[in-house]
Amino acid sequence: MTTLAEISAADRSQAASPREVSRARAVRRFRWSILAPLIALFAFVVVPVLFLQLYFSFHQWTVYLGTWWDAEFVGLDLFQEVFTDPRFGWAVVRSLVFSIGSTVGCFVIGFALAYLMHKPFRGQAVYYILFILPMLTVPIVVAYTAEMMLYQSGPVNDVISRITGIEFKPAWLTNPNFALTAVMLLEIWNWTPFSFIIMLAGLSAIPKEPIEAAEILGASRWRIFWEVQLPLLRPVIMLALVLRFLEAMAEFPKTWALFQGGPGSATETLPVYIFLTTWQYFQVSKGAAMCYLVMMLMIAIVLVAIKLLQREKRALDAMYAKPAERA
Amino acid sequence: MTKSRRRRISAIVRYTVLTVWALIAFFPIYWIVATSFKIDTQWFAWPPVYVPNPPTLANYLNVWLGKEEYTTTQYAISSQKPLYSLRNSIVIATTSTLLAVVFGSVIAYGVSRYRILSDARMFQLLMLRMIPPIVVVAPLSLYYSALGLLDTMSGLILIYFVTSLPYAVWMAKSFIDEVPREIEQAAELLGASRWRTIFEIVLPLVRSGLVATFLFILILTWSEYLLAFILTKTEVTTLPIELSKYQGSTEGRVYGRQAALAVGITVPLMIVGLAIRRHLARGFSFGMVRR
Repeated sequence: MTTLAEISAADRSQAASPREVSRARAVRRFRWSILAPLIALFAFVVVPVLFLQLYFSFHQWTVYLGTWWDAEFVGLDLFQEVFTDPRFGWAVVRSLVFSIGSTVGCFVIGFALAYLMHKPFRGQAVYYILFILPMLTVPIVVAYTAEMMLYQSGPVNDVISRITGIEFKPAWLTNPNFALTAVMLLEIWNWTPFSFIIMLAGLSAIPKEPIEAAEILGASRWRIFWEVQLPLLRPVIMLALVLRFLEAMAEFPKTWALFQGGPGSATETLPVYIFLTTWQYFQVSKGAAMCYLVMMLMIAIVLVAIKLLQREKRALDAMYAKPAERA
Repeated sequence: MTKSRRRRISAIVRYTVLTVWALIAFFPIYWIVATSFKIDTQWFAWPPVYVPNPPTLANYLNVWLGKEEYTTTQYAISSQKPLYSLRNSIVIATTSTLLAVVFGSVIAYGVSRYRILSDARMFQLLMLRMIPPIVVVAPLSLYYSALGLLDTMSGLILIYFVTSLPYAVWMAKSFIDEVPREIEQAAELLGASRWRTIFEIVLPLVRSGLVATFLFILILTWSEYLLAFILTKTEVTTLPIELSKYQGSTEGRVYGRQAALAVGITVPLMIVGLAIRRHLARGFSFGMVRR
């Protein structure tokens, strides 16, 4: 059954006045003129680059070949080469270990710090500033600082030896067993502030009523944390984990400047291996095929991430909308 | 009584944990600043020198002003020009960031009020940022060399503009969403054009938010390494690249000099970052988390 309102709405749209038609046209023109630069960027930057990448992953080309449109079509050979390359497989494993390890590390420390700091106390502002400083150093500076601190008789080992009283001398920069851990620790040092500020913002935004209610009902702080605060924080937690993981997958400056993939191939993560293949071994086509596979992998991960973020953003928007309605 | 005691214990635990992490967070920063004031025999001495003694300005004078007269050892630096890269860095970072914020905020307004991009499209825009740049930088450098954009400032500005646009749109949108629509409707009734409404009413209202967006993206473009590393050769160098190339001609490790350069790169970043510290969470989460 059609209601009266619907009929009148249909009526209005059929017999739109010339003024409304011109208004609708103006709005449409306005929308397109805002969109135009964005479309131009995609058409002239993003699309050609993706096309070139696709071209090189199906054509064998090296820098010695002069013009790149002379490259020979080789079908799926390059992909086969990549798939049968054990170094590529190890790079994937290393990248995942590095990203998951550093994401969890950042999150656990960042969340713990945020939890200790979400209620006001004396000195809070000072701690806040000290905690976000690592995030405000340039990654390449972090790499060189690490080099200055992590050599075998350097300050880090010296301080640990003095505190514990044990001779503590791992060769962080030359021992292949420690190298990836060293980069991971650097990443954690560098980006714990990220998890910290996100979790702190989340903790200070969750409504207080459920927690107070639980306190009145006599729940222990432990139960309040697990059963009230944690579920309320889920969107923020997802956000902190997903965004950090994606950034860690792309980490290049620290790994490269400190190790160039070495010692041996201990720190050869995906970005480093792609870089070596393309710019050190000059296997541009193999590199392109590798990039294509990694891009597909990342797009798959990002699509899952976006699904998660989309859901969590709705939850967050609802959370931020509430206080405004109450006011 | 037990309650006040428990509270005191929890306060002690809190201060201990926070102080330990504060030391861990601050020690490397202290170390690089200290190293920049050390004379060359203390750069990698054993045992490590914790306080530069005597402190010296030689590293800064050498790196930033090219003066060599203060040290005993000659560390001739191979054809580096930090002041030139400083100028490059400033021009590239500010121009690309400004472009991103101007276009980004207009797009953000369109999304917020006219929904020119659906929610799904907005998330697809994030892909520009979420796909690691390493996977597209090889074809990009070939494309750039065909266009003559390789090793030019415009090339870097263009690509930084593209990669920071998602941050700009999302962050600006989170600010514009907070502006009540009634003001624009009033402006429209008074006969203001749509473009005038944007530039003279809405954007000025979120001015402080846009400044925060600008400074936030400036942090990202200022410290970017990979794209600058691959898309520049000799004509253009940004400061992070300058640092990575900085080596002595006879001795590879010139820690004091590198530290002086590194401090110069980092200090402006820290000032900017601390100035917008309340907005960092919003920036890094694409405006999804607010305070």
